[in-house]
Amino acid sequence: MNPKSESVEASRGSEASSSSINSTPDIVEDQLTSGNIMKRAAAKQLIEKYFYQLLDGCGNVNCDNRYCASSGAARNLSPNEAAAEAIKLFYKEARLCSSVTPNKVSRTDSNSYEPSPSSTLGPNHKNTSENKENQNITTPEPSTASRGEPHTSHTAQQQKQKKRKRYNSKDYQNVVLDGAPLTEERIYKLCDECLQNRAEEPLSKALSKAFSRPSILARCFASKISENANETSKDTEKESKESSRSCDPDKDIDSVAAPQLDVASCRRAFQYLAKVPTEYYSTDLVIALKSLGSYLSKDLKSEKLSIEDAVNCFVITFELPNLGCSDYFEIALPDVCLAIGELPIKGQARLARIWSQYCKDSLRNILETLQQLISLRVVSCNYHVFFHVQEDGHVTGPTRVLKVLYYASILAGVLDSNTLHEEPIVIAHQHDPLESVLGHLYPPSSMKGARNSQLNDPLAVELGVSVLDSRTPYLPFEDFYNEPLSDVIEMDKDCEDYEMVISRPNTRFSFLRHPFVLTVASKSLGLYYENRLRMYSESRAALLQAAVGAARPEPFLRLRVRRSHLIEDALVVLEMISMERALDLKKQLVVEFEGEQGVDEGGVSKEFFQLIVEEIFNPDYGMFTHQQDSRNVWFNPTSFETEAQFTLIGIVLGLAIYNNVILAVNFPMVVYRKLLGRKGSFEDLVDWNPILYNGLKDMLEYTGDDLEEVYYQTFRICYQDVFGTNMFHELKVNGDNIFVTQENKKEFVDLYADFLLNVSVETQFRAFRRGFLMVTDESPLGAFFRPEEVEMLVCGSKVFDFHELEKSTEYDGGYASDSKIVQDFWGIVHSLPLEDKRKLLQFTTGSDRVPVGGLCNLNFVIARNGPDCDRLPTAHTCFNVLLLPEYDTRDKLQDRLLKAINYSKGFGLH
Amino acid sequence: MAATRRLQKELNDIRQSGLKSFRDIQVDESNILTWQGLIVPDNPPYNKGAFRIEINFPAEYPFKPPKISFKTKIYHPNIDEKGQVCLPIISAENWKPATKTDQVIQALVALVNDPEPEHPLRAELAEEFLKDRKKFTKNAEEFTKKHSEKRPTD
Repeated sequence: MNPKSESVEASRGSEASSSSINSTPDIVEDQLTSGNIMKRAAAKQLIEKYFYQLLDGCGNVNCDNRYCASSGAARNLSPNEAAAEAIKLFYKEARLCSSVTPNKVSRTDSNSYEPSPSSTLGPNHKNTSENKENQNITTPEPSTASRGEPHTSHTAQQQKQKKRKRYNSKDYQNVVLDGAPLTEERIYKLCDECLQNRAEEPLSKALSKAFSRPSILARCFASKISENANETSKDTEKESKESSRSCDPDKDIDSVAAPQLDVASCRRAFQYLAKVPTEYYSTDLVIALKSLGSYLSKDLKSEKLSIEDAVNCFVITFELPNLGCSDYFEIALPDVCLAIGELPIKGQARLARIWSQYCKDSLRNILETLQQLISLRVVSCNYHVFFHVQEDGHVTGPTRVLKVLYYASILAGVLDSNTLHEEPIVIAHQHDPLESVLGHLYPPSSMKGARNSQLNDPLAVELGVSVLDSRTPYLPFEDFYNEPLSDVIEMDKDCEDYEMVISRPNTRFSFLRHPFVLTVASKSLGLYYENRLRMYSESRAALLQAAVGAARPEPFLRLRVRRSHLIEDALVVLEMISMERALDLKKQLVVEFEGEQGVDEGGVSKEFFQLIVEEIFNPDYGMFTHQQDSRNVWFNPTSFETEAQFTLIGIVLGLAIYNNVILAVNFPMVVYRKLLGRKGSFEDLVDWNPILYNGLKDMLEYTGDDLEEVYYQTFRICYQDVFGTNMFHELKVNGDNIFVTQENKKEFVDLYADFLLNVSVETQFRAFRRGFLMVTDESPLGAFFRPEEVEMLVCGSKVFDFHELEKSTEYDGGYASDSKIVQDFWGIVHSLPLEDKRKLLQFTTGSDRVPVGGLCNLNFVIARNGPDCDRLPTAHTCFNVLLLPEYDTRDKLQDRLLKAINYSKGFGLH
Repeated sequence: MAATRRLQKELNDIRQSGLKSFRDIQVDESNILTWQGLIVPDNPPYNKGAFRIEINFPAEYPFKPPKISFKTKIYHPNIDEKGQVCLPIISAENWKPATKTDQVIQALVALVNDPEPEHPLRAELAEEFLKDRKKFTKNAEEFTKKHSEKRPTD
């Protein structure tokens, strides 16, 4: 326990709260008319200066004042001692450093009834909750009574002080009452008053006073337990809090100290408040909130406000029930959101923890409000070259809050207990001798280290949680997507900002640093630009190399393969490239089939991918097995193929992502989790093999004492290889003699899952992941995308919405959406069975998978290809163009179309 | 190689208990995951014969349910021409690993004895069963005589 920091905080908190009473300038001016008060204020200011000089020092390293902490001559004082000493120094008129913490002094500016540090810091005062009592001191008796706050354990000295204070502040009772922190009871009382007597003023005034000042708001709805408790229990409570905080604050989410704030009480009060028609108070409250926002920003910037207090303010503000109503969110909310952006990472983490623990019920409401706020702003605002959305605080502010909420939702949801990581694979890049010579001329290699360390979100690091740990977030991940925002962001610009954040943090805002808000389609574009930027810096390097006479490297990744030996050729070429110049794997892929004329503008490589995938995933090929229950593919643990083959398919997967090609692979989700670095665990069995998962889960839920008898299961399990042979594996040494019992069943399940998902396919998966990382290791893939989203990148989304396709289709060569043949075409298409729709997609785009973001992202074009004739329709798969002769009749169209999609496997590239 | 302990135990238990309605259990030494046996129903029209079934246990048994198929042709609304049977107790949704094979067999025998036309695999037989029980019984009896195996004599 660290009494010093605690009490410093306490004193600061009290100052802040008392200074806030200044918020009514007229009153302060009134006060200052009295010369006596002036003198006192000056004296107090001086004492304050001594106090801070003793505690914090003047900041001058060469300070020689023996009464200043900076000189090192003043011994380490506790705040209480310092306060006593400060008064002594004041009488002595001791030396005062010129530069003593002006910001701190300014806080305490002349205010006669403000308790000076010496008076607030009685020997028993250590806890922050004490401030409330200080508040009580300045608050007249009747109001305290009405608020039902007990005043306990005041020392005689305090009682005396109280009397004096009350006497001094007699004239300002009303002010003080208005500015006193709100409590549940007081809200009830004010609301009742308002409803019964139609006297809205006290209520709106009280709300306005409480909400306009962070220092007051932070003390509202203070938790009673800590107030009622006597001194000793307070101390022990604090101690335990302290110790739990010190034992690993990053890892243990439960260690968040309970806020000095009773969220439940706050929520009850606001629910009660909702009974009062909003017009009675909303105008005042909105104005108050607006100033709250700016005060919070200012106070946080100048570190005037403790993080805990600021967080309390945000928690209370976001509990307000009608936050989503127009005035609040157009006028007040943006400023409050901006203020959260000023919260240091530790404060954001605290807010996320409090939200996740105490405010689960409000998360949905906060999310919807913020999303609405962003959407409305984005839709109504015209962004242009000189005003990017990244510069719009009304969007970036709420987005930052969304991040806090996002992590709160993760923390409040189901977290994976298993956090085993896949062992890191280091891709050794071919060292270019020229690079070292030219290294100082261009930065890419030096940036690599920094890049990787910057990929992790600082808030996630502070919270010690990763998106990958989340099994089921409290709010679904999809609800965090904001489509209007995703549509309006210019990804190339955002990508530049993303890179900037690495070299110059805090200067730019990048939405790619908040990837949860972006749809997969827009992030995929972001990934593309990121890659291009990287390529650009490398091509600059290439230029330099050319300047010194080296051959200029190829801007593309060229593959020349024979159709008849597709896998072998691809394997040889890619293996060679990965060994000699792995960097080339990140370039745009250009495929040539030997003896064919197709120019690869996307179509040929699409076909290349498709053919490779077809062959490699064919069960007869033996690399992958098809699991019947779940209809997905899995690594064949007994594959005879070399590791190189698995590496190849890993490279193919990575290349497909980079080249925006959709693959017809059906991996279970655990593959993508493992690719992003987490080992598979029991929960991953749910889509790997749902029946097995349910059976094991059933055992975990079995509560009888006779589990051992009933299951008669040992730590030896049986599995079938591809040939149907039963194989056995002991999960533990001598496993067949260890029976599964109530005590060890969890261990059994974990070991079983580990065997199936990790151990049995370790060799194959490692090779596969190696290949994948060869392409993606430097990219922010893992930072942008969750495993589910990576799957979408690879496989496309799974919904066939041809109406969506019709809406987004463009026409060429004389057709328009109202042409007869076009209308007939869609009539026919919509009536086709799913299988034929799939074939049509295959025919026109070269893949039967839906692209990321749905069919509307296909850029499908129907072009006229001459008048009526007997030719079949053809397609340019690389451009997704369907060439349709203008057939005379609908029947003929249908006949030709079905023939084309059913009998063509070849490639209609012209 | 020793098979899974649970299956071995279940097999021993069933053999010892001497079920009347499930007999002649044959298990290949090399593969304990496949059992064959004779279902001997008590109710007409199936009490004139016996029906050979095969139980296939998955490697992951008991965490995944066994599958049952009829090797003998049977005229039954809940058993299709290929011998597939839809038994709720071993469906993927209902399966409980604690369920023992003798419970599964008893459920199967009960289904054979008393068809459940509400959940048919062969809709035409279910309809016949509901609308014209006489005709159904006659057909089923003839079918049983023609295709089923001999009932054990003891």
